[in-house]
Amino acid sequence: MNAITASNVSKQFRYVGIPKQTTFKESIVRLQIFRRPENRYVRAIDDVSFAVEQGTMLGVIGRNGSGKTTLMRLLARVYRPNTGTIKINGQTTLLSLGVGFHPDFTGRENVKISGLILGLTPREIQSKFAEIVEFSELGEFIDAPVRTYSTGMYLRLAFSIAISVDPDVLLLDEVLAVGDEAFAAKCFGRIQQFKRRGKTIVLVTHDAQTILAWCDSALWLEHGKARMYGAPASVVAGYHAALAGYGDEPLLEAATPEQA
Amino acid sequence: MILSLYRYRWLLYELVLRDLMQRYRGSALGFLWTLLNPVLFMGVYTLVFSVYLRAGMEHYALFLVSAMVPWLWFSSSIQQGTTSIIDGRMYIGKAAFAPVVLILVPVLSNMVNFLLTVPFLFLIVALSHHKIGISLVVLPVLITIQFVLTLAVLLFTATFNVFYRDLQQLIPIAMLLLFYLIPIFYPLSSVPAALRPFILANPFVAIALAYQNVFYANAWPDFYLLAYTALTALVLFAIGVAIFTRYEETFTEYL
Repeated sequence: MNAITASNVSKQFRYVGIPKQTTFKESIVRLQIFRRPENRYVRAIDDVSFAVEQGTMLGVIGRNGSGKTTLMRLLARVYRPNTGTIKINGQTTLLSLGVGFHPDFTGRENVKISGLILGLTPREIQSKFAEIVEFSELGEFIDAPVRTYSTGMYLRLAFSIAISVDPDVLLLDEVLAVGDEAFAAKCFGRIQQFKRRGKTIVLVTHDAQTILAWCDSALWLEHGKARMYGAPASVVAGYHAALAGYGDEPLLEAATPEQA
Repeated sequence: MILSLYRYRWLLYELVLRDLMQRYRGSALGFLWTLLNPVLFMGVYTLVFSVYLRAGMEHYALFLVSAMVPWLWFSSSIQQGTTSIIDGRMYIGKAAFAPVVLILVPVLSNMVNFLLTVPFLFLIVALSHHKIGISLVVLPVLITIQFVLTLAVLLFTATFNVFYRDLQQLIPIAMLLLFYLIPIFYPLSSVPAALRPFILANPFVAIALAYQNVFYANAWPDFYLLAYTALTALVLFAIGVAIFTRYEETFTEYL
């Protein structure tokens, strides 16, 4: 059975230029308050189809700006696709860098809030709390404000929460590269365990080794399109061959107006 | 939207609690600060109007506080709520999370402060040897109308502030000017008759007048005026929900 079925999914964004601090003055001068300031679109995901069987792991690879994070957000239902459909069996949890932690709140407070955002009830959070703290190995730092955490500590906490939610589909966006090796191994162990219980994982990474070692299938995104989709070994080989030839080619170009 | 609010009710509760605790964290007086605001206002305005200007209004302090208490709930919610989407940016784009929760938090936490200030209002009533009559029963209605109105305004301001940050600069000024323009520290009768329709067009005015009626004049509020405000609030709310729903998905691109 497929846990995820994506058919001809596209998502486009309005091109947002230089850090867009629009002001009223600017807009009035250009009489553009009610008009769209830019009519260009970026197709972050362009007609992508794939299916992930339940209990397997899909690795998504591609250069920066190829649409990996957008794809993850589509899978997490943060975005709705402009065209195409995504069918997911069960609950998803997205774990990405900079997961929603409030810097001034303590780790403990953030566990509570993140858990609630991810759909747990207060009782569930309470019962999982000890496990989360233990897995994160944060010890007494759990009562320190998150702004005092290192990136690694931050990530440990985020990963511990995400895995404790026990979703049917776990979406990992480039998160395993940050922790130290010991913690990465521990996460890997947890992910394997997770998989054995028939759960599904989608992993975004730049690291071909991870894909080869862990994944059951791989998807290579380029300019928002699925350049290759299939067995990890052949996708990674294709990606590496192309990487050598990329040179200074720009990452993405905004297209002229297009119908969604 | 209502459904997602039910789904996130615990989150809402937790965020409101955090908001209240954070506000008072590390301050020795804590909640007293919230109370001090109307008390200081009352002192200064009573001095200016009763002593300097000899406005000659009986129990001016009570008159002022009765409309001041709901006004503080309204204006603090609008000021805090306009930046709520930006302030909560770390929660957006991470899960299928409803940003409307972020807008509700300041309305609710300021409502808690408001409710805690109401006993102070009763105290001033008692000290002024005034009586509160049966018209007090409309208080829940007033609170409900104000809640919807505040939320409706915020659906607009919080959404647009994501795209035009000028709004967060403009709002405090607008609130200050509004405070002077509507009858909170002076009675409606001070406004020239020709200008009154313009003042009454502001939906918050009916609420301020109703509080003055209930707590100061021991009279029933003007129900036609209240109905106008309730209707305006509902219409604004409906449009606000439509606008918010239309734009919420694009928040991630601007935060």
